[in-house]
Amino acid sequence: MEQRLANTWRMTVNEKKFIESALVSGLRVDGRNLYDYRKLSINFGKEDGSAEVHLGQTRVMGIATSQLVQPYRDRPNEGTLSIFTEFSPMADPSFEPGRPGEFAVELGRVIDRGLRESRAVDTESLCVLAGKLVWAIRIDLHILDNGGNLVDAANVAALAALSTFRRPECSLGGENGQEVIVHPPEAREPLPLIIHHLPIAVTFAFFSDESTLVVDPTHQEEAVMAGRMTATLNTNGDICAIQKAGGEGVPQSVIMHCLRIAATKAADITVKIRDTVEAYNTERALQKIKRHSAPVALDVSGTVPNVRKNQVKSEDQREVSGSVGTQVEKLKPMNERKNSDQSNDIEETSKFSKKQKESQSKKSTQQASPKGSAEEMKAISPATESAKIASQTHGEKTLKDAVKPKHKRKKKAPSAVDGS
Amino acid sequence: MEIDRADGRNPNQLRPLSCSRGVLNRAHGSASWAQGNTQVLAAVYGPKAGTKKNENPEKASVEVIWKPKTGQIGKQEKEYEMVLKRTLQSICILTIHPNTTTSVIVQVVHDDGALLPCAINASCAALVDAGIPLKHLAVAICCCLADSGLVMLDPTKLEEEKMKAFVYLVLPNSILSVLPEESSSVKGEQMEQGLITSVTHGVMSVDDYLHCLERGRAATSKMSDFLRRNLQPQLSSDSSKAG
Repeated sequence: MEQRLANTWRMTVNEKKFIESALVSGLRVDGRNLYDYRKLSINFGKEDGSAEVHLGQTRVMGIATSQLVQPYRDRPNEGTLSIFTEFSPMADPSFEPGRPGEFAVELGRVIDRGLRESRAVDTESLCVLAGKLVWAIRIDLHILDNGGNLVDAANVAALAALSTFRRPECSLGGENGQEVIVHPPEAREPLPLIIHHLPIAVTFAFFSDESTLVVDPTHQEEAVMAGRMTATLNTNGDICAIQKAGGEGVPQSVIMHCLRIAATKAADITVKIRDTVEAYNTERALQKIKRHSAPVALDVSGTVPNVRKNQVKSEDQREVSGSVGTQVEKLKPMNERKNSDQSNDIEETSKFSKKQKESQSKKSTQQASPKGSAEEMKAISPATESAKIASQTHGEKTLKDAVKPKHKRKKKAPSAVDGS
Repeated sequence: MEIDRADGRNPNQLRPLSCSRGVLNRAHGSASWAQGNTQVLAAVYGPKAGTKKNENPEKASVEVIWKPKTGQIGKQEKEYEMVLKRTLQSICILTIHPNTTTSVIVQVVHDDGALLPCAINASCAALVDAGIPLKHLAVAICCCLADSGLVMLDPTKLEEEKMKAFVYLVLPNSILSVLPEESSSVKGEQMEQGLITSVTHGVMSVDDYLHCLERGRAATSKMSDFLRRNLQPQLSSDSSKAG
């Protein structure tokens, strides 16, 4: 018992008084204005449906996955959405592993209400076979770092994960049309979810001095505050949820004022989420296109035989081996290392992998005759991986292709799209 | 005979490594380690008072919490926790802070093969970031054995599933000694020849295992150079995390 008390973090009286008296004069400890949000940045992971949100020092990771399950009895035509929040002990020394504390449960409920009960995600489109099989979307929110205002950050993480999530396409087949065939992502492009609106949570903290309220409290402000309120609303002007669980009583005028502020903040955050998701989607589409790539004339001398060997060797070539002279940080115990200093930052490696993809795609066009590459450009539209594979094998035969009659080549475009 | 690896590496090639320390604000030490697409985030909370019931209170103890990316915690996670705990206990100096618990929390960000070695490397870097006293560093690597008998290093998830067997090896960091002649030796053997942890999956013959061990050792010398360079104190301000 004494050990647990010894391990808890307590705020000193001096810090508490400092924060409170600064707030009376309208100053916040980190220099923000009373109604300002901290810097929000959203990064996406390697898979579809994984997002990491940084709100100042708060860090939350959201991951969306899907599974085919039986629907609920009273809703046979609708898919389900469930949200699991993990208060990882790495976020705060007071978070203990095991059963979630009451704050964790409250956070889960607030996000659940805002997202699920406001019907932000279209669940009817998740139905595959009415009454038998529907898609169940599961969102896992991992709180990695508690810098304050976990509700807002976790909400944005959930929305970002849902916006970039792609579920596999499935079709009905079999005798009665009762069998469900789930197509792997290589065969058919997975589909995004239908999201009607983005419910954004905005948290306010109230302090013992009645007129002081603050948006997006930090961890220290949360330790000092007397009450909090979270309003979840969307840009259509709908209030999806309001949560004010106990704490200091506030007059009605203050609540209305808060809702007005929340409306403007929600608009800003929605724009931010939409922009980052769009940027991610364009990059995703571009990545698929780059493998077929643009006809760029490159210096071919001396490297042609090596490149041909590489193409014949592997289909899914993402990392080009060092012999072709690109900057690769692979550690070869037998050969000398190149530039592994630059691999210290994760962002750098992603830049490098982009460069590698670019250079690899440039090489693939060295092989293709100009006509062949123009053909590959046509075959791009929902460029699936099998299309890429087809075109790579297409690339292998390019010298013959130059001789093949045109009508045969055009046939390849639709077959590549179907992914047969 | 050359086996074609899907990403074009040769059998002795590792995926690009990247390591960042100090990524979290509340944790006393944190590190993110990525090997290719496998990425793991580790956080360390420095010695907390008290040990758990079945731990020896005369020594410091290490507690490991493994958080998978999605889904519930099952036996696989418990196994990883146990292996990680025993590995870290052997590298920490346990006699300095008796009756304390150091917590290491591992969060899987993405799993693309060689997950446990990645986590061990991340935890080691996080322990250094937290300033926990260690005897030496550890580097972990995964070697897999194909049906043909070819040994490959650092497999991706697809490769791991296709292989006949694979082994996770944890070896001590190579020694950079100030005194050139003296190198700590245990019973006449160099310490660098030691092996901290080895976890095997699948069937492999003794010769194959020893072969994997040799290959792994050769690879880890390069990896430990990378680790050492990465752990050089950063010149940018490292604010104190004690608050």
